Amino acid sequence: MTNSIGELQGADVLLVTGSNTTETHPQIARNILEGVDRGAKLIVIDPRKTELARQAHVHLALRPGTDIALVNGIMRSIIDENLADDLFISMRTEQYEKLRDYLFRLNLDEIAAITGIGLSTIRKAAKIYARSSNAVICYCLGVTQHTCGTDNVQAVANLAMLTGNIEKAYGGVDPLRGQNNVQGACDMAALPAVLPGYQGLDNIDARRRFQQVWNCDIPQTPGLSLTEMTHSGAEGDIRAMYIMGENPVLSDPHLKRVETTLKQLDFLAVSDIFLTETAALAHVVFPAASFAEKGGTITNSERRVQLCRKAIPPIGKCRADGHIIMELGRRLNCPGMDFTSNAEIMEEISLLTPIYGGMHYDRLEENWGLQWPCWNRDHPGTKFLHKHNFTRGKGQFTITRHREPAETVETKYPFTLVTGRGSYHHYHTATMTRNSRRLVREYPEALLEINEKDSRALQLQPGEPVEVHSRRGSVRVKTVVTDRVQPGTVFTSFHFWEVPINQLTVDAMDSRSKCPEFKVCSVNIKKVSHA
Amino acid sequence: MLDLNEMILPKDNLTPLLRKLAKDARLIAPIKNSYGDTLFTVIDDIDKAAIDLENQPQASLKPYLLPQQETLATYRNTEGGYIFAEADEEPESIYFGVRSCDLTAVLYTDLVFSRPVKDSSYFKRRNKSLLITIGCNHPFSNCFCEASNSGPYLEYGYDLQFIDLGDAYFVSAGRRKGLDLLEKWLYFFRAVTDSDREKRYQLQLEVRGKFTQNIQVSQVCQLLQDHEVDDSIWRKLSGRCYDCGGCAYVCPTCTCFSVDDAAIDENHGLRLRSWDACTSSGFTRMTGGHNPVDRRTDALKRRFLHKLKYDYAEHGKPSCTGCGRCVDICFGGVDITTFISLAAKGETV
Amino acid sequence: MKEIFIPGRAIIREIVQENKQIKTFRLELLDKTQSFTFRPGQFLMLSIPHCGEAAISISSPPTALPLIDLSIRKAGVLTSAIHRMHSGDEVGLRGPFGTAFPVGNFPGHDLLFIAGGIGLAPLKSVLDYCLFQQEVEDDTVQRITLLYGSRTVADIAFQKAIEKWKNQGVDCRLTVDVGDPDWSGSVGLVTELLHPDIITPQTISLVCGPPIMIRFVIAKLLDLGQSETAILTTLERHMKCGMGLCGHCHLDGKLVCVDGPVFTYAELKLMNIMEFS
Repeated sequence: MTNSIGELQGADVLLVTGSNTTETHPQIARNILEGVDRGAKLIVIDPRKTELARQAHVHLALRPGTDIALVNGIMRSIIDENLADDLFISMRTEQYEKLRDYLFRLNLDEIAAITGIGLSTIRKAAKIYARSSNAVICYCLGVTQHTCGTDNVQAVANLAMLTGNIEKAYGGVDPLRGQNNVQGACDMAALPAVLPGYQGLDNIDARRRFQQVWNCDIPQTPGLSLTEMTHSGAEGDIRAMYIMGENPVLSDPHLKRVETTLKQLDFLAVSDIFLTETAALAHVVFPAASFAEKGGTITNSERRVQLCRKAIPPIGKCRADGHIIMELGRRLNCPGMDFTSNAEIMEEISLLTPIYGGMHYDRLEENWGLQWPCWNRDHPGTKFLHKHNFTRGKGQFTITRHREPAETVETKYPFTLVTGRGSYHHYHTATMTRNSRRLVREYPEALLEINEKDSRALQLQPGEPVEVHSRRGSVRVKTVVTDRVQPGTVFTSFHFWEVPINQLTVDAMDSRSKCPEFKVCSVNIKKVSHA
Repeated sequence: MLDLNEMILPKDNLTPLLRKLAKDARLIAPIKNSYGDTLFTVIDDIDKAAIDLENQPQASLKPYLLPQQETLATYRNTEGGYIFAEADEEPESIYFGVRSCDLTAVLYTDLVFSRPVKDSSYFKRRNKSLLITIGCNHPFSNCFCEASNSGPYLEYGYDLQFIDLGDAYFVSAGRRKGLDLLEKWLYFFRAVTDSDREKRYQLQLEVRGKFTQNIQVSQVCQLLQDHEVDDSIWRKLSGRCYDCGGCAYVCPTCTCFSVDDAAIDENHGLRLRSWDACTSSGFTRMTGGHNPVDRRTDALKRRFLHKLKYDYAEHGKPSCTGCGRCVDICFGGVDITTFISLAAKGETV
Repeated sequence: MKEIFIPGRAIIREIVQENKQIKTFRLELLDKTQSFTFRPGQFLMLSIPHCGEAAISISSPPTALPLIDLSIRKAGVLTSAIHRMHSGDEVGLRGPFGTAFPVGNFPGHDLLFIAGGIGLAPLKSVLDYCLFQQEVEDDTVQRITLLYGSRTVADIAFQKAIEKWKNQGVDCRLTVDVGDPDWSGSVGLVTELLHPDIITPQTISLVCGPPIMIRFVIAKLLDLGQSETAILTTLERHMKCGMGLCGHCHLDGKLVCVDGPVFTYAELKLMNIMEFS
């Protein structure tokens, strides 16, 4: 997030796109709703009528996969109404004219047709957003999990720059990070193309420093992304894998391909706190400690590095992840695997990662931690990013054009399947949450959300199971009739191994981010005939 | 004649007294742990325990008297039959440093678990407990016990009540068990003087002015007796309740529970009781899926009406003791004080 | 103090398959030193090894003691488990719990039983009890009518009991939601069987079934002039204790396990409850 979570309460307009915030980020939703209580206007872009969409002043229920067209439409309306922030554009951005010329060539009626949203609604949202002095855009995986995910984000950035809603306390573009430490994992370069702190592999000084401290060669070329690894298949040249706390056998798209890949490996090691479906395929399983059994830091969505303390010693033979990595490293003769405390690890992070430069354990004890960038011991941390300039200097407008998802509906597969988190009772593939009796009681099984109109057409009884087919596979799942989804769209979660919905999803991905298109695939729905 | 109902305990004598008490029973008091959290903790070594009477314990006595999970019975299912056996007995326990709100909650829980039948597991522990309260001279930031008629000092219900006079505690016995304790350890105490009494009343007067929360509990309780709360309020509150159960778990008067059996092996198992929360949809959902409560609109209705409407009608006071814990725990911002202030604004019909 | 959550041992003496989903389990308590009795309408907490407990209405009359019938539809984990059990297997029973139908007030009245599906189970206890009373006493209930709705012909449960009741003079009228060629009886909802002539000034109606059925039946009864105090129903709720302690079966300010499950419509009407909103 460029902003801090608490700043959301102070915005005049909150535009939330591709985020079922109340269920996936309840703490952030609270800030959004308290902002609304104070008079802020809420605009929600989501194909589904989520709880937040119900509370929105404007709900733009777009056809899945048409975010770019919608945002372009909003920008065009803003320019038409003369509401662009010309001063900001001229001072802080470049290449605006190209975008403006492109937007002028757009046919707004076409945009309405593509998105399925009436022009007056688009114009209304545009006016509300552009007229505010402090507007925040929150986005989540509904924006990024598309073949055009990177462009979706670019479109959102264009919109913020067009109205000067960036680089300030109550305005900005805020991606809401998913897993509890996904921000920290990215910061620490659990990504194929960067070194910790987003230092590029082409940064010779940084490379030299890492080589010096780690006493090893740093590759000059990026590695593979998750989906590239798990989908490399039998013909791929990956022979061994070590998977930590991830369950790709259920969570990655096009599962048959994932299973083929993992099963042909010469060696698979998995560490997790429970024996997941992925761990069951492993040659070696490391039992890992849970959050309560280890210390360390977690970096949250607002870039805040927070100290976590060990509440109890690890139970049984499980060990903290750090311990497992170090022991593994030592056995593989990897130098420097001799940290004696978490604070010592943090010292190395501070040394090598400029944005974490001042994040020492003694400082993190106070005030719920520090937000990066925090350059040195005296630096107070950063509440919001890009205060006087963007990371790259001037913000660059880039034209983004609508293109259809990898799969579009057709006669044989007439429904669009959207996948995501199903409820706050389960987390990811539910490897942890389904061990809690209470959580299981609250959300016992997978449900396919279906609109009443479609349910009637299929002559379904309430709760009746159906078979959902895509080009890649089929699953059987119970239905729930709801107005959360529009006719023609169905939704379900990937929490339940009994309904491995990712057997159906496409492995087409964004060419730059390598993020798969979990949000759109075409399916058919069949009534299960009673024997 | 010496009035044993009221005595003075010089502060220097507190640790010696507690040391003696710990010999006869399990002693439990608020202890500040190494992370800075104050929690009721069993004291093994009185000299090492950092008894903290300055901060509100993060949990009430509920985890002790009605544990988060307890074994009600064990069972076996073998050739010999499907047979249950009683769980183990509980030790005698003395709880020291109990706040007025939490003691009021225990008295309420006593009622809940007495009618229409006596809850054997609860009273197995309750009957072996001696409760020593500490009057609050400094309300905490979320507290509103005065508004809910459960503190800061108590008139009855405690075995012993301690009030901090600065260099000594003003100790009152409220029940036979407390009086017995005073008699047994008389030599630690001295008689009450008029000036002690004067000081005590002065403190009692002063503390009333120190509440920072102005929560209109009794007004709303009365209003609820013959007014319906507008559906839009229930809808709004439900939309922001994340079903974490935190409010019910930290609440000293939330006593709803579940009973489940858990297998130990093929032939043996436990009958377990665990805390439950009426805010969850699984709390009322029946086998087959029918649910008489719609969570989207009424997630918090039962919780608030039970405390403020039904219990007020039955007992003449609400079963919210104003401890304020749910205010901190609720991350949706829809704790009971939010409801009270919305309802007090007259958004009822 | 004896632990109140410990059930008594009971043995399955007989199992009757009522339809594809419903079986009646004829049980007998093993401990004869404890006296056990109940009133029609009350329920028991049934324990099945490793499955926990469930609240089940007693479907036999007290006059059939020491045998106790529990008619159970296979729906969840526990009910599926008992459906796999056999005669001679052991289960646990706690109870009886809850209020009963006021059978003491029935003499001199006509009784109209209206049930849907498994909802006939608690009413069956009353019906059998009243028939027994008719045999042994003079001052007793007058006309007994049963309106029973099922989803399909195959779903009609308690057929043996219904045959027996017909022979004992009960006016039994059955209907199915979905007809089939072999079915010559009524097709349609049970409310459609409620003709004005069924209700007399002496009629007391006893209603049990799915919530939506209860709602429509009561509306129809009121239309036909039935008085609110003469409509009795029994509500089903999620229950854990049966003793008014656990809170699960809350119903406005009341608890179904102790204030119910049997209520008159006059009582229910005053409450804010899902079945009637």
